[in-house]
Amino acid sequence: MKKNINIQSCLVATALSAMLFAASCKKDFLNVPPQGQQPSITFWKTGDDALKGVNAIYANLRSWDNVAFNAIAIESTGSDEADKGSTPTDATFFNLFDQFTVTSTQGSLEGFWNGQYQNINLCNQVLDKIPNISMDESLKNRYLAEAKFVRAYSYFRLVRAYGNVVLRLHLPRDNSEYNLPQSDKATVYAQIEKDLTEAAAVLPQSYPATDLGRATKGAALGMKAKVAMYQKKWADVLALTNQVMTLGYDLFPDYEKGFREANENSVESLFEVQASLIQGNAAASNSQYSQVQGVAGVMGWGFNTPSAELEAAYETGDPRKDATILFRGETTPQGDLVPTSVPNPRYNQKSYVPFNTRISGFNEGAQQNIRVLRFADILLMNAEAANELGNPTQALTSLNRVRKRARGSNPAILPDVTTTDQTALRTAIWKERQVELAMENDRYFDVIRQGRALTVFGPKGWKANKNEVWPIPQTEIDLSGGLLKQNPGY
Amino acid sequence: MKRIFTRISVLAAFCLLTINVALAQNITVKGKVIDGGDKTPLPGVSILIKGTQSGTQTDVNGNYSISAPANATLVFNFVGYTAAEQAVNNQTTINVSLASSTQQLEQVVVVGYGTQRKIDVTGSVGNVKGEDISKQPSVNPVSALQGKVAGVSITNVGTPGASPKITIRGTGTIYGNTGVLYVVDGVWYDDINFLNPADIANISILKDASSQSIYGIRAANGVVLVTTNKGKRGDAVINYNGTVGFQKVTNQVEMANASEYATAVNEAYSLLNPPVAPLFANTNLGEGTNWYDVILRDALVTNHQLSVSGGTEKSTYNLSLGYLDQDGIVKNNNYKRYTARLSNDFQIFDPLKVGYNVTATSSKSKDAPSGIFRALYAASPVVPVFNADGSYGDPNAFNLGNGSNMNPQATLDFFNQNTTKYKVTGNVYAELKFLKNFTFKTSFGGDFGQEEVRGYVGVYKASNTQQNTNSKLDIDRVENRNWIIENTLTYDKKWADHSLTVLLGQTAQRNKLYAINADALNVPYTSEGDLYLALGNAASRSIVDRGELSTFASYFARVNYGYKNKYLINASVRRDGASQFFGSNNLWGNFPSIGAGWVISNEDFMKDQKIFSNLKLRGSWGKVGNAGVPFNPSTETVDQTPSLVAIFGGIPYTGASVRMLVPPTLFWERSAGTDIGLEMGFLNNRLTVEADYYNRKTEQAIFDIPIFKNLGTVNGRLIANQADIRNRGFEFLATWADKTTGGFNYSISGNVGINNNKVMNVTSGDNPIYSGGAGLTSGYLSTRTVNNRPIGEFFGYQVIGVFQTDAEAAAWPGFKKGDFKYADINNDGVIDLKDRVVLGNPNPKFTYGLNTNFAYKNFDLTLDIQGVADVDVFNANLSNRFGNENYTKDFFDHRWTGPGTSNTYASANLAGGLNNAPSSFYVEKGDYIRLRNIQLGYSLPTAIVNKWKMQRLRVFLNAQNAVNIFGYKGFSPEVGGVPTSAGIDTNVYPLFATYNFGVNVTF
Repeated sequence: MKKNINIQSCLVATALSAMLFAASCKKDFLNVPPQGQQPSITFWKTGDDALKGVNAIYANLRSWDNVAFNAIAIESTGSDEADKGSTPTDATFFNLFDQFTVTSTQGSLEGFWNGQYQNINLCNQVLDKIPNISMDESLKNRYLAEAKFVRAYSYFRLVRAYGNVVLRLHLPRDNSEYNLPQSDKATVYAQIEKDLTEAAAVLPQSYPATDLGRATKGAALGMKAKVAMYQKKWADVLALTNQVMTLGYDLFPDYEKGFREANENSVESLFEVQASLIQGNAAASNSQYSQVQGVAGVMGWGFNTPSAELEAAYETGDPRKDATILFRGETTPQGDLVPTSVPNPRYNQKSYVPFNTRISGFNEGAQQNIRVLRFADILLMNAEAANELGNPTQALTSLNRVRKRARGSNPAILPDVTTTDQTALRTAIWKERQVELAMENDRYFDVIRQGRALTVFGPKGWKANKNEVWPIPQTEIDLSGGLLKQNPGY
Repeated sequence: MKRIFTRISVLAAFCLLTINVALAQNITVKGKVIDGGDKTPLPGVSILIKGTQSGTQTDVNGNYSISAPANATLVFNFVGYTAAEQAVNNQTTINVSLASSTQQLEQVVVVGYGTQRKIDVTGSVGNVKGEDISKQPSVNPVSALQGKVAGVSITNVGTPGASPKITIRGTGTIYGNTGVLYVVDGVWYDDINFLNPADIANISILKDASSQSIYGIRAANGVVLVTTNKGKRGDAVINYNGTVGFQKVTNQVEMANASEYATAVNEAYSLLNPPVAPLFANTNLGEGTNWYDVILRDALVTNHQLSVSGGTEKSTYNLSLGYLDQDGIVKNNNYKRYTARLSNDFQIFDPLKVGYNVTATSSKSKDAPSGIFRALYAASPVVPVFNADGSYGDPNAFNLGNGSNMNPQATLDFFNQNTTKYKVTGNVYAELKFLKNFTFKTSFGGDFGQEEVRGYVGVYKASNTQQNTNSKLDIDRVENRNWIIENTLTYDKKWADHSLTVLLGQTAQRNKLYAINADALNVPYTSEGDLYLALGNAASRSIVDRGELSTFASYFARVNYGYKNKYLINASVRRDGASQFFGSNNLWGNFPSIGAGWVISNEDFMKDQKIFSNLKLRGSWGKVGNAGVPFNPSTETVDQTPSLVAIFGGIPYTGASVRMLVPPTLFWERSAGTDIGLEMGFLNNRLTVEADYYNRKTEQAIFDIPIFKNLGTVNGRLIANQADIRNRGFEFLATWADKTTGGFNYSISGNVGINNNKVMNVTSGDNPIYSGGAGLTSGYLSTRTVNNRPIGEFFGYQVIGVFQTDAEAAAWPGFKKGDFKYADINNDGVIDLKDRVVLGNPNPKFTYGLNTNFAYKNFDLTLDIQGVADVDVFNANLSNRFGNENYTKDFFDHRWTGPGTSNTYASANLAGGLNNAPSSFYVEKGDYIRLRNIQLGYSLPTAIVNKWKMQRLRVFLNAQNAVNIFGYKGFSPEVGGVPTSAGIDTNVYPLFATYNFGVNVTF
């Protein structure tokens, strides 16, 4: 019995000391850092952090909301150049945009809106945080300029689509800055121009191969010209495009080949959204731009198909028709036969990627870059501005330069435009924009800015004083408690 | 590791078996054991000489004979009776009458960190015995609880190896871990699918906050305590249970045949705007392919369980082995599970006991393709399985579009995925009794598991949409390393009219998860031996990993005091620290509880009444917490996902930034609950009734609410403490158990739970949270969670008819004839999302069960019925249309085909306009009642089995889910889902019945 008590005392002592030990180490025990996730207070400290932050901005430009269904619905479906596509009963929400019956609760409105504001948040992270990092100052300034370019581009897409939008130029400091009112269009445009001016002052004209695809001085100036065109600031458009034309850009000789992967970032390119199919990284090969428009059932889903009106818009023999429209039953220059069994007569060839590049488990055509701004657009803007400012000679020179490239080696087609009548020349330039920039998400807002949307889209249901912009997403208005105002007519 | 562990365990078991040593003997004692109530003889009573392992059993007439020392004491033990001890004192005849222990007073229930007499419990604890679990053909122990306990709702999944979802007294948590806490022999788990149901001795379900609060940290969704079988002193008992059976789909939904499908598709095309020419020139296509018949099958299931248990005076052991082989109802799908369990207890010194439990489980499944059930539903009957030339039937050849462009046979044939799981888990403990009334117990539990999913897609081409150009091997491996240490000190004392138990405890836990995912392209395949990443294309190999780590430290105390078996007080407090909250000023949470009981039937003034054999009133209140929240939710982190990888010059570069907003601080989610219960026994406790009212409110529930999309965060949501969730309801349990003098034993037990769920005090006010999955519901969100309404109600348009003509539809932009006509709730002349209304509630209001047992002579019959009522299901299979998916026969037969044909079913243009938007048409009653289990057994006469050296041989037939009654037009109204998007039926595993033949043998 004596022995038992000794054992007992020992055991009790051991047990109690175990408890005390457990209690004494509790403080450290509960201090567990996030696993595999870096707390942001340790980020934005080095030049490498700054670089990653800038990289993220470019990456998000190929997100679903920026390039796929929602971008198509907002920027293309309303136009006369594109139809819904796919089978008739598939994704019928596009018809709401095609027939202008969309209302503020439709999901793509919120998706596209969110996509742009995600870009803007990533830019604001860089613009707010990088200035405090101690690093190479010239690199720092370039990073800031790159962020300003993308912020301006995103606000441009927003202001075209929604009119008065919320202007966020900083990260919210606390939750009192969550609910901000809209700014009017003029204020938004002024900010876009300010960002682009500041960006153009810093950005280099070109980059080494390892940085190919970053925003350049030409991209900023060209984008600024486009923004000016949407405000009819013709003198600015002319000056800016003249400046871009001195920067070494040129038209890529072969119109069709200019849209193939081998000729990405060509001499014609001012800005492209960069995408790639990276074996071993399907999640980074996430662009669905080509997939959603690819030949249905063969290389994608077959949406946003070129319309019969677009097909009819080309002049006889214009090779751009065949380069823009992938016809059912045709064999592509790359040797792919589009089966006759596919549901649609036409598909977008500018997003086309040869069928044999398909790798299972990856989005079809994940490698296709998106041409945002091409030198052809600069020339046509230059032509339009010159014409508006009463300089038909320069207008014709720039316009015919675009036609000459399209003509290629066939002198029998696409003769030079010669009219110097301002109205006729304006019409010719607009027509040229339609066919040259077809299926590049330019047409819809281009026609609206030209002020003839009622004529062109009216038969489809477009209404003046309403459809110049789409409705503000209803959820944003609801969350704002009424601070955000809906666009007229919705 | 697992293998070594098992080997050692087996060795240990054999050692123990061989140390049985018989003791000396003196005189022969004979006698008869009878039931103290009806005086009938009791066969099979175990008689043990106290302090030894030697003993005997009574024969079929209740007689026994044993050699025992003249001064020995005999212990009489029989299941269902209170054990009795008799000193031999040189007597040669000792007759004993055993008192039935079915008296509620003596029932013992397992509660947190201990056991209590049923009569002393002041909270609400549901109890299910092991035999009621093993009697069911369920391969998952949780599934066997369905319909057994009032207020406990179980949703089965169907997939072999998957665990059902269990909800106790309604949904109280939206975010993070919404599951219950399982405690198996003191070790904490999120899931118990590793357990062999035959190893379970008892399951206790802690339903009210006061009983749960001793598990404060993780108890917000309820606690399920599992006790596994232990060996008993005595000779080795060998048990074998085996079943073989098959599973068959019940309630299959009939789909349109080829002719009907073609007719409907043509009709849909003619109704498009503008109309499209018919897809099928000829609609007379006959029956076509019935894809369900092609892909589903009657599936075999076999189950073997072997256990050996016994013990000596100083030690007991229990070894059990299990093997399950279950085919899925989808061809090629198969699940095999091996379980081994060993427990040993050793009485080292008089006051010190040590022991351990260890379970090793391994399972391997050949998986079914995810989404196969949806694919079968959508697949077109016009597509042949194979063409005449042997190639796969190609939906593209029929121009059917994106919604139905798969041939399910090809999907199945080229699918190669295995899931293997290993787990070794268990605990070791030591229990020390000292100073008479004190017990100190320390227990260390561990849980080490690994799950691996290995998928391989070879190069193939069945059609343009079903082809693979580059083979791909994908390996996903998740590893868990969890441990828990618990120390408790108990003081237990009874004196005069008082009984007092005091418990002090401390625990620490650490849960670590590490997952790694790797894949490679162009891995060849000549055999499974080729499936190594190393054989893949070097440039294509990728690897990513992730981890989770959380730690918890807790202290708790509890006092149980009883006076004269009449007045009971229980009070407890637990203090928890959780690493999730580290860095906030809310690291620690306190969770108190109090309960009181009054056993009225023990009062003097009740002595003379004849109505109640038991009457007890109890009430309790407690708080519990929920640390099942995201890891470090108030820490802003850097997002470095692959989608932020930038490409320059075709080369990927890492991108990272901040794309989230976090709450400045996050508080514990607490749930406070009150429970008032009344327990009654009538007619000598043959009828027992238990009724409970409860009110449980989750305070500061951790929730994510929508924030401005113009903040540009990655998901437009902000996690914070931002709502209360209330569950309130009643529960009733009534049991009648009796036996007739003719030897007919029976019990009938019914239970019902009524629950009302409501979300309150959302910080974002009336801004709702829409959920209910875009992909499931044609791109629409189908549920809404909003202030003062139940969680996740179905939300959409109210169908008020069908437009009969275009003229009638003309007033409504976007609508045409044959379309659903929706109520214009805001009267603005336009139908849009502002016109949505509440369509139904996926949270069942009533859950009920009826459980019966009958035994007569050698026959026994068990019949369990179970159901839910007042619940809604969203038939997303029907609404989820992107193109030319097949139609159900029901829809085809009732669809609108012209003016006057239907005012409830839309036209075949179901994907057109807003017809496939969530609407009242798709929300159906989900009530069901089912014959959950029926089992008929026959035990061979003892005389015969004894000849075969057996104690018992029983054969039985059973059927699970044999009869299911419901009005829902899908496969099964039993649809799970996370709280904000529950009850959405798409790709739900079809309901199936299982029919088994089985045998139980005891040696």
